[in-house]
Amino acid sequence: MELTGRYELEAPPEVVWDALFDPEVLAASIPGCETLQAEGPAAYTATVKLKVGPVSARFKGNVEIVDAAPCRSCRITGKGSGGIAGVAQGASLVALEATATGTVLTYTADAKVGGKLAALGSRLIESTARKLADQFFANFATHLKSRQENAA
Amino acid sequence: MNAEGLRIGARHVGTPLRRENARRHVAGRSRFTTDLTLPQMLHAAFVRSPLAHGRITELDVSEARAAPGVHAVLTAADLADCCTPWRGTLDHFAGMTSVSQRPLAEEEVLWVGHPVAMILAESRAMAEDASELVLLDIEELPAVTDPHAALHPDSPKAALEAEKGNLCFETVLETGAVDQVFAEAAHVVEEEFTFGRHTAVTLEPRAILADFDPSTRRLTVHQGTQTPYQFQDTFARHLGLEQSNVRVISPDVGGSFGMKLHVYHEEMAVAAASVLHGRPVRYVPDRLETFLSDIHARDHRITARMALDAEGHILAMDVHDIAPIGPFSTYPRTSVAEGNQVIRLMGAPYRMPDYRGRLQVVFQNKVQTSQYRAVGHPIACAVTEALVDKAAVALGLDPFAIRAANVIADDAYPARSATGFEFEALSHEECLGKLRDLMGYDALREQQAALRDRGIYRGIGIAPFVEITNPGATFYGIGGARISAQDGAIVKLTPGGQAQVAISITEQGQGTETIIAQIVADELGLDPSQVRVTTGDTETTPSGGATWACRGAGIGGETALRAARKLAAQIRAISGAVLQKDGDTLILSGGAVVSADNPMVAMDLSEVARIAYYRPDTLPAGIDTSLSVAHHFAPSGYPFDFTNGIQASHVEVDPETGIVRLLRHWVVEDCGTIINPLLVDEQIRGGVVQGLGAALFEECLYDESGQLTNGSMADYLVPMPCEMPDIAIAHVETPTKDTILGAKGVGEAGTAAASAAAMNAVNDALLPLGARITQTPMTPLRILRALKTITD
Repeated sequence: MELTGRYELEAPPEVVWDALFDPEVLAASIPGCETLQAEGPAAYTATVKLKVGPVSARFKGNVEIVDAAPCRSCRITGKGSGGIAGVAQGASLVALEATATGTVLTYTADAKVGGKLAALGSRLIESTARKLADQFFANFATHLKSRQENAA
Repeated sequence: MNAEGLRIGARHVGTPLRRENARRHVAGRSRFTTDLTLPQMLHAAFVRSPLAHGRITELDVSEARAAPGVHAVLTAADLADCCTPWRGTLDHFAGMTSVSQRPLAEEEVLWVGHPVAMILAESRAMAEDASELVLLDIEELPAVTDPHAALHPDSPKAALEAEKGNLCFETVLETGAVDQVFAEAAHVVEEEFTFGRHTAVTLEPRAILADFDPSTRRLTVHQGTQTPYQFQDTFARHLGLEQSNVRVISPDVGGSFGMKLHVYHEEMAVAAASVLHGRPVRYVPDRLETFLSDIHARDHRITARMALDAEGHILAMDVHDIAPIGPFSTYPRTSVAEGNQVIRLMGAPYRMPDYRGRLQVVFQNKVQTSQYRAVGHPIACAVTEALVDKAAVALGLDPFAIRAANVIADDAYPARSATGFEFEALSHEECLGKLRDLMGYDALREQQAALRDRGIYRGIGIAPFVEITNPGATFYGIGGARISAQDGAIVKLTPGGQAQVAISITEQGQGTETIIAQIVADELGLDPSQVRVTTGDTETTPSGGATWACRGAGIGGETALRAARKLAAQIRAISGAVLQKDGDTLILSGGAVVSADNPMVAMDLSEVARIAYYRPDTLPAGIDTSLSVAHHFAPSGYPFDFTNGIQASHVEVDPETGIVRLLRHWVVEDCGTIINPLLVDEQIRGGVVQGLGAALFEECLYDESGQLTNGSMADYLVPMPCEMPDIAIAHVETPTKDTILGAKGVGEAGTAAASAAAMNAVNDALLPLGARITQTPMTPLRILRALKTITD
């Protein structure tokens, strides 16, 4: 399953970049995130509660940011296990581009699910993944805004 | 005069008696395994592999063990000492291999759904909650999901321990001159086929409640199965128990279709856990688990060609079936039987001198496949009949005409097929004629032509078939399988003069108990309502084969008949002593023993029983007063009693949407003596619906990584009443002379040819559009691809 998205953020790439590496912002932005802990400068473990169609589960997993080209692009990879709900893994290439009003963030992501999630949710996976991505970036944008307001 | 077979009064064999137990089901008085609750009962839930293939790197159950209500969490190591492994190979499939299996995965997981850990808790909900706490980490290994790629020498293995890579079994069946026949034939038609995998989707899922009593070392297993005696043997051997201490009870069973006679990991784990913990353990899979663990069926990639002479006589077929199964072969019947029957049933209705069938059974990382209603038949029938229709088009022959020119003539029996099957007596010609009249073939063709002018595409497809029924010991016993080829019955005259029968064939809702009552009633001169039949308990019924391969009515029915005749002889001997008549001159009729030469000389069965049970002192000294007799019957004579028939399908295809509408379906069937015409027709209709499900709707879908992607009733399409056509049925009766009863099997006849008829009908509709489909299910998407409306 491949997903792509494009978001316009009202902050310069440097601010967006910093926020992407801020565990607090990430924790607040990831839908259903219950815990997020930094395991290194660009690695986190997280617990996320998700519902895909009839399956709801708490995913424990790790997220890593690799191939970082500061303020321009990075790859975010993640792998999580939802117990009897199954497993999920994905990788996403995120790119930032400065614009007159802030930053355009684009991503392409490849996600794979297994177990109960695949068996019961295959029709819903794509729409759910898209919805989650939208939620993440909506939350992320809100936090960026409040961050900037606080800074100002 | 010998009174055997002499009758006065009503004969019940041949009458459309309703299923007696249906009253109970309708009244909500059924008792399925799930309805049973025992004191101290634990509920099982399983942690399953979410990956199709991998190596377990971490399995931590400590948190789950501490969860509320949890009694135990078991892994492979916990069960290693109390349950021996099993391997699904049989000796008569020379060279076949399969890795051995244990109830829970040890290191390697082999399919999505492979049980890894088992939670025993006070409720199923608690067990499921605890299963979320199990930490399972699996290192992913490459999953084998494509059967052609699986055969490549460089392919990864579906099971690392497999001896011959991904090849489970290979065989070639060949007559002398196949290549020469094809080289010289006037016409050769060929085709490639893909048959999807589907599954049984029984109304009641598999269910087991195992109850081990450590004080006596007795194991009682309540199980929704069609083969309690086979499981008695399996549990005793693999759990190290005395066979006499293992009792398997199959109460009401909500449909089996071949799915409930295989050994499943979960059932073995449950029985072993009960032995280990000395408490009753229940397991009932939820619907997702049934998709992930019930056997799947079919799944074939076939290339086939047919050679014909200039007049359209079939000369030979050359078939290659690649049959992917699961990562191992199913125990104890193997996963090879399906493909083996596919290659042996090709061209079965026809005078076909030459044949080559090649079978390759291949491992892959999906749920195990195995025997399911009409094992191999629908595939052989669809391939054969699609080629016959294609040849008819090429030669400009009508589908009825080409079949009439090729079927084995009704007066040419006994006959032998090119694949080695011996046919006692079949009725293809009569069935062909009867079908043509039944369906009003000529009028349908006229209507078809008229509608095509209006842009409506209707199609007619016909498919003769041969069905394997009443198998003898050459079927499984010869290969070393501990599966009984015989059945047993005990028939008893009660002190009140009625009958009770305990028999080893089982009841899954098909009406076994009713037909046995009819047969016994006729032999004892009783009404079927006076005959009580008990099935499905290894402790109270004789051991036998039970229900599979269309053997219940033919073999079990004959067993009941012979047992009842033995009892009738006893009754005649006892009553003869009272009436001072030679027993041979007495007949049993209307609830009484009657003198054949003087109807005034008679006594009620209740009087015979009263004297034998309560006043044996009034009988001549030394007379045998036994009024319970046991009899076992194993078929001899022909290795199988083959049946035959023909089906027709009438469809309308919408070329814009690709949707197929089933308009009507017809079946003419010859199962020999019809014991109960109502139940025979029910069997045929149900079978046809399952065949049409495979043709148009049902498919277990996997992605390339081996994930099942439609594991729910929302995504897996079963045939629904609104989609099913009316099914008209007619009969020809050619009793087998192998038995007194003359009955052959009928349970698989509907499934055997329904999908073949439907495929031919769809292709007949598509013919003027230049399209052809040879893949099932024939989904709208695939039909639009065949029409090249969709080209990806």
